[in-house]
Amino acid sequence: MLQANDQQRELREAIRAIGPALGAEHIARDRTGTFSEGGWKRLAETGLFGLPFGEEFGGLGQDLLTTMYVLEALGESCRDGGLNFSASTHIVSAGVALHRYGRAELKARYLPGICSGTTIGAHAITEPEGGSDIMRMRTTAVADGDAFVLNGTKAFVSNGPLADLIVVYARTGKPENPAGLTAFLVERDTPGLTTGRPIEKMGLRTSPLCELFLDGVRVPRSQVIGSVGAGFLVLDHVMKWEILCSFVINLGEMRHRLERCVEYARTRTQFGAPIGSYQSTANRIVEMKIDVETSRKWLYDTAEKLSSNQNVATDIAIAKLVTSEANVRSALSAIQIFGGYGYTAEYGLEKEMRNAVAGTIYSGTTEIQKQRISTLMGLNRAATPKRA
Amino acid sequence: MTTTEGITEAIRTHILAEYLPGTPREELETSYDLLDNGVVTSLDLLALISWVEQRFQVPIDEVEISPDHFRSVDAMSEFVKRTTGK
Repeated sequence: MLQANDQQRELREAIRAIGPALGAEHIARDRTGTFSEGGWKRLAETGLFGLPFGEEFGGLGQDLLTTMYVLEALGESCRDGGLNFSASTHIVSAGVALHRYGRAELKARYLPGICSGTTIGAHAITEPEGGSDIMRMRTTAVADGDAFVLNGTKAFVSNGPLADLIVVYARTGKPENPAGLTAFLVERDTPGLTTGRPIEKMGLRTSPLCELFLDGVRVPRSQVIGSVGAGFLVLDHVMKWEILCSFVINLGEMRHRLERCVEYARTRTQFGAPIGSYQSTANRIVEMKIDVETSRKWLYDTAEKLSSNQNVATDIAIAKLVTSEANVRSALSAIQIFGGYGYTAEYGLEKEMRNAVAGTIYSGTTEIQKQRISTLMGLNRAATPKRA
Repeated sequence: MTTTEGITEAIRTHILAEYLPGTPREELETSYDLLDNGVVTSLDLLALISWVEQRFQVPIDEVEISPDHFRSVDAMSEFVKRTTGK
């Protein structure tokens, strides 16, 4: 677990200090599905978007654990869960992919804008026909001279309606072949690329989402991230960061919710005693506490292992599954503890429940995480022996 | 084990044990395409890269790394030799 130094605490406190202002009017924005442009600019001013990227690009040059430590404070202090999610998506989708796998000239051209928040990033992975079965994606990229021509449709592109820069994953080889995907960095105004209208959704309504259409989009070979055929490796790295960064924000949200419930259970009186003195309520809060601590351990322990180049394929799936499911339980418990007030929009807890459900779906559903874990345990392989 | 033959055989032993259990050693040709033929899946590839990195102390260059380096026993052996100078 991270033992924060002065600089790390300072970064965290800077976010914590502006969190309440970032979340102002969050319920009204959720109702209309409005992205907070003002909140984005304030976040940019803190340097948050450049946290894990090199100082030569305008970033703060911090490591993964520090980035998570600061993002946890964002989740704890800012009640606009959609803004938090958009910030995390921006950092990991284009920034992390470029920072780790991009060639020097690509980094020099694009990372400064990502760090300053003036260039908004997104990635396009899921397609209308499927999201989990990524190795069978239908979007294709065909080599043509010094470029690739991309065709296909992408679904559920978070930040899509805002994005200036999109990492598009497309098939350059056979379906299911691990060498069959390539990652392309595509600018928003590239001819042939269009976005659909923002899609209405259950939660994270202040983080816009849309479809992306690629019709003969010509992308220079120099815009390939990593090497041709290495798209799955880029995606795997990005997904690890996405899970750790977006769910550590959820951890912060769970911590805030827990504190709110403890305070309420101590002061709300029924039948002449605080409701927290009743075992049924106290137990619910204890379970919320256990969920917070379990999620924290899985997220930070996995990040430590990843930072020391250990194989975290199983850990990351468990961390994602544990935290996302805990967040839903925590949000439902908070509504129950607050009773009728929790059910109203005014208290913001029903919104947090709707936001939390998204976490069990994006970055690989709960079912897919279990499938991955079982595969890594060799269970699937035993059922279908291979032959050379 | 740093000779060319030693590296190739260590990789072949690992592939047989992890991804082709029960397959006789002589049936796995070192040029056999493990990716095209579905022996090594996307999840397997991550574990395989990690194994090669640790087993042979290979410095992985994220910009240059390609699944093609792990396409066959020969490809992996060549990759290890080139990157470690063995």
